[in-house]
Order: sequence, then structure tokens, then C-alpha cells
Amino acid sequence: MDQSNQDTFLKKLKRALVDVSENLRNTASSVTPGERDDHQTTLEHIQQRAANDRLALLERMITESRAINLEVVPVKDLDAAGEHIQQLVITKQPERGAAKQVVAWKHPLLESLNLEKRLKEISIPIFFTEFENHEEKALLREKIASAFIGVTSADFCLADSATIVLKTRPGQARSVSLAPSIHVAVVLLEQIIADLNELYALLKYDPAHHTEGLTRCMTFITGPSKTADIEAMMVYGVHGPREVHLYVITG
Amino acid sequence: MTHIATENYKTQARAATRNIVLQGALAGLQERLGKGTALAYQDLPEGPDLRYKAHDIRMHAINNLDVLLKQLAEKIRSQGGHVFFAVDGKSAAAYCLDIARKHHVKLVVKGKSMVTEEIRLNDALTNEGIDVYETDLGEYIIQLAGEHPSHILAPAIHKTREDIGRLFSEKLNISYTDDPPSLTKAAKTALREKFFAADMGISGCNLACAETGHITTVSNEGNIRMSSTMPKIHMVFMGMERIVDSLKDHNILLRMLCRGASAQKLATYVSHISGPAPTDHLDGPEAFHLVILDNGRSRILADKNFREMLCCVRCGACLNVCPVYRKIGGHAYGYAYSGPVGAVVTPLLIGINRAKHLCQGETLCGACKDICPVNIDLPRMLLELRWKLASGDPQWHVRRENRLEKAVYQGWSHLTRNRRLYDLSLWATKLLQKMLPKRSSMIAWMPPPLNGWTDSRHMKPIAKTSFSKKWKQHKLDSR
Repeated sequence: MDQSNQDTFLKKLKRALVDVSENLRNTASSVTPGERDDHQTTLEHIQQRAANDRLALLERMITESRAINLEVVPVKDLDAAGEHIQQLVITKQPERGAAKQVVAWKHPLLESLNLEKRLKEISIPIFFTEFENHEEKALLREKIASAFIGVTSADFCLADSATIVLKTRPGQARSVSLAPSIHVAVVLLEQIIADLNELYALLKYDPAHHTEGLTRCMTFITGPSKTADIEAMMVYGVHGPREVHLYVITG
Repeated sequence: MTHIATENYKTQARAATRNIVLQGALAGLQERLGKGTALAYQDLPEGPDLRYKAHDIRMHAINNLDVLLKQLAEKIRSQGGHVFFAVDGKSAAAYCLDIARKHHVKLVVKGKSMVTEEIRLNDALTNEGIDVYETDLGEYIIQLAGEHPSHILAPAIHKTREDIGRLFSEKLNISYTDDPPSLTKAAKTALREKFFAADMGISGCNLACAETGHITTVSNEGNIRMSSTMPKIHMVFMGMERIVDSLKDHNILLRMLCRGASAQKLATYVSHISGPAPTDHLDGPEAFHLVILDNGRSRILADKNFREMLCCVRCGACLNVCPVYRKIGGHAYGYAYSGPVGAVVTPLLIGINRAKHLCQGETLCGACKDICPVNIDLPRMLLELRWKLASGDPQWHVRRENRLEKAVYQGWSHLTRNRRLYDLSLWATKLLQKMLPKRSSMIAWMPPPLNGWTDSRHMKPIAKTSFSKKWKQHKLDSR
């Protein structure tokens, strides 16, 4: 934009900070080599985590999820997850309008759930968020707005806070986890990590994630949408989903 | 209520203390959130001392603000976003209007943002004929009522469900209900169509990170995600101090922010946004604008006594423990920022004389410092402000507030250093106090201007025998 504007602005700040000693003004890197080694250890720790430890993380996530009204369901395999989702579609009622309609990410893990076939059996339409042209894009956005269930996968889950972490990519639209009144996410057990420390270490030092960056929008979802703005009374489902179901495939 | 109403502090405060509904709501809020936050710090894996670390992280960012902001701006631009540095509220609003005009914006949805409240952005947009909708439920209620927020996090804390029921039935054309879930649903329905129809979404910025070049938004309702996902343009207003160096620092700050604000490990939604959505993405904004605002902050930055104030992340934790806020609520503070944070930051932003009551009204009890997720020494700065008001300060253009006060203290100083004069005045006072009305041997009333002491409590009279006389007597007796 206006470069001269920026320069004047920043020069003023520099002048304001003139009394700050030089050793406090080294921003080359706040990460010392020692810390980098710490992160390497964290990465190895995550990669080499034993099956039992992974299940312990799942347990921790389930415990945490109760307080925030998040539904965490361990399932054996993809087929069982697909079954559960089919049941949800049958039993849950839409909040807006009468017709049931489902949207889902275009995602390799979700493809193995056979959702298209499962929902065809019960004659409920499902739309996947891939598009060829502008018209399809506009149409899909309408479908998301009127869907009652949105199905996504996720990049990670944080056990410590029962958080689902989603990056946006082509086919992985933001609004699928936002506009429908029920959000369903499906992840593999090994996608559960301990906490933010581990997540940020992965984002920074795991080569694939580092190259990809945060994408333009990385979102943490910790339970269903809620408010306490009227007399401090907790109400679930304001602008985001009122229910969130997470299926963890334990294998 | 006018934009700056800090002069009305005393009348507003008095009215608030007599408002029974408000008193109940404020007490409830503090019992819930104030205590919850203190417990949430205890639960930190690193322990509650992480507050000190968080303070160091913030000071590091403030000490390097120019470098970090440059890094942030470069990163955001390389990711396709626009960055505008605004020296004041006027230029920030002008930039927003300029973009709005260029894209024929008719409808704006907003996430809660104290900075936009500070610069009166809604008025600027409305004057341009643009419809602006606040989408946080509390803010929406306040906007419908034509009021201003009374708490950083719970803007409608001063309203009862019956108030809101009446307001909604009138403004949203629904039949009256005072059931919070039904009211929430009514607001949701009204706002949902706005989200999909809006041309521009505006949000604040809870944190920004220089290393990655992203801004972070935090909410529980999902309204900020809606505002930053559905409209074609997403514009973010950021107070220039709201930055951290690296993801490592971001980790700690984000966790402390959520604990300070609402005693949560993490809020429901935390989005890391670094630019517009690429065209092969189904949704997300086509254009992303970041407005970085000074508006008086560089003056705070230049004064090493107040620089620490820029560590503040506006979580509102100090409001939830402050004994003064608990009684007078947010409106008395007369500006976007209330409570202890407002008592320091408002005078620094709008003028110390103009907002003198705010810093004079606090108790210096230190609860705000103890609950602050970044351990800001607010009591120290309150004293600093009072010192400036008492003695004047050319650098901050503060005129001495009360000449009489200074004269009285100079007289007192003179009196206490002169034995004879002191004894004489004690004798005179003892005589005079005999004429004052007593209740159970306490002075029940004093004439103005001394009635400030006796209006709400009784005062002990000066003792018949002074301490020094007793002391002398004691020495004689024990010989």
C-alpha cells in the first residue's frame, strides 16, 4: 500500500523506543539453538508415541470434552464411523427448514466412509465441497448454508483442551464446520496430540507443515458455539453449530 | 451518551450504585469469572507463574514493536493481504470508507472489537449510508438499544432478560419472550441473513504473530468466524501493540488470554488468519485488509513509565475482580475501556485531565495486577497518573488539577515540622470538635468541605491526651 505512510509510522515507534537498551532490541530470533533441539525432541516424541500413550491422549480428550459439551466417540474403523454418521442423519432434526441435507469436505479420509451410498439408502442428498467453475462454487455455498449437518476431517486434535484443528485447503471449506447446526468430524487416533506446544512445534518444524504454512486460515474448534450474554445463562448454538461430534478411529 | 463521557464519572457511578439489577449482575459476574480465572491459572501445566513469563513476552514485543510490525506487514502482503498503518482513528476510518466505496459496500457485519469502538467506526460507516450490524449477541443487544458496551467481554451485563425481551419484541418484530435460548435464537435468525448478504466483515484482532504473519481472532459464538468467512472483504482493526514475536510466544499468550477473559483453556473458536482465500478455495474473503492503529499509542510507547500499559491484551480479567468496577459498572468510565484497564488507558489516550476521575476512583488494592494474565502493574500507573494530576506535567500537557490540594499539603508539611505551631493547632482543633455533633462518642458530622469524611461514616475525635504527652508520662511513671 502506502509505503511512505508505513515508514513514517514505524520511524515514530523507533524514536519512541530510543531509550530501550540494545540487548533488549535483538529480534533476529527469539528461538535459541537449545530451543530448536527441544522442538526436535517434541517432534520425535510425537512420531514415536506408543499405541498406549495415544489411547491415553484419547481418554484425556474425552474427559476434557465433557465440560464443553463436545461429543467424542471412539470407533473401530471407517465403516463404523460411516454407520454412526448415517444414524445421526436419520435421528437428528434440522433447525431450519424441513428438508434434510448434508455437506462434506472433499477429503481422502471421508471418501472411505461411503457417505454418498449410505445417504442414498435413506434418500438424503449430500454435497461434497469440490467445484469446477464459478456457478458450481456459488451453488455449493448455498448448499452449505442450508445443510443441517456438515462433515469434515481435521489436521489435529489437542487432547489437553479437546480442540479440533482445521486448516483450509481446496475442497476443505471453512463454512462446513460453521454454517450447519451440527458439525461432525472424523479423525484417526494418531491425529490426536497433547497440546498447543506440540501443535506449534509441528507447524514450525515438521517439514510438510512448515512448507504449507498456516494456510490462509487455521481454525481451532473447542466444542459447540455458545454464548452467556443474556443474564450469564449458557446457550449452545449461536452462529456456529449447536452440536459437535468427533469420531476417532482407533483401528 | 456522547463518545467521551469521562466527566460524568461521579454521577454515572452514583446512579450505578443505586441500580439493584446492575449490582446483582456485576456481583454475579465477578463471582463467576473473577474466581474462575484465578483457578484457571492454578491449573496451568507451567503453574500460575506463567503470568510473569507472559509479561516478559509482551515487553519483548513492545520493545521491538517497530521491527515486528514491519515483519508482520511484509508477511501479510506476501500472502496477498493489504496492510494500512493508521496514525489516528480518523485515517483508519477513512481507509475503511475508501475500500467500502470502491467495492460498493452496502452491508457490513462486525465481530466485537474495542478498537473500532474507540475510533467510532460504526458512526463513520452509518454516516456513509452503510448498514452496520454488530454480531456478538451482547453487542447486538447494545446496538439495538442504542447504547454502549459496559464490559469488554460481557457488553450487555447491565440488561435483564426482560429488558432484552422487550427490546427484541419491539425491534425484531417477534412476540415477547424472556427465555434466553429463544432470544438467542431470534438474534441468530436475524443476523444469519446478514452474514450471507454482507459485502464486508469487520473484526478486531486479539493477537498477531510476526513470525508467521497472521492475526488471531477469538470468540465463543462463531460470529467472528462468520464475519471473516462469508463476506467478500475481511477488514481487521488492530491496536498496534497487539503483536507477539513467534508462535512459541503466541502459544503462551493465547492460553493466558483465554484464561484471563473467561477462565477457559481455549475459547470455542480461535482462527489464525494470514490473508485472503485463494481462488480455488470454496469460501473465505477475496480481499483481506489489516489496519494497524496508533491513535495515541506511540505517545504511551515513548514514556517508559507507561510503556508497560501496551502489554495489555484487553481480556477484561481486571474488570472481574475490581471492587470499584463491581460497584459502578462500565458506563461510569465513559469510554470504550472500563475498569482498571480503562482507568489507566483512557487518560493516556484522551487526556489525563479530562479523565482524572477514572484514576482517582480506583482503590489501589492491587487485585487487578494479581489477576492480569500478563501481570501489568496497574496500581503503579494509577499512582503515576495521580502524581501528574497533583503536580502538573508539561510532557503530557497535564495542568495541576487542584491548587488548593497542593497548598493544603504544603501547609500540613510546614505544620508538622513546627512543634509549637503543631501543638497550638491541636489545641484549637480539640476546642472546635467539641461543637460538632457526636454519636456514641464519634464525630457524626463535619461542615463542608470536610463532610467527605463523615457523609458515610463516623470519625474518631482527637484524643484528649496526645500520644507524645502519654509517652512522656509513661517515662516518668516507670522511672
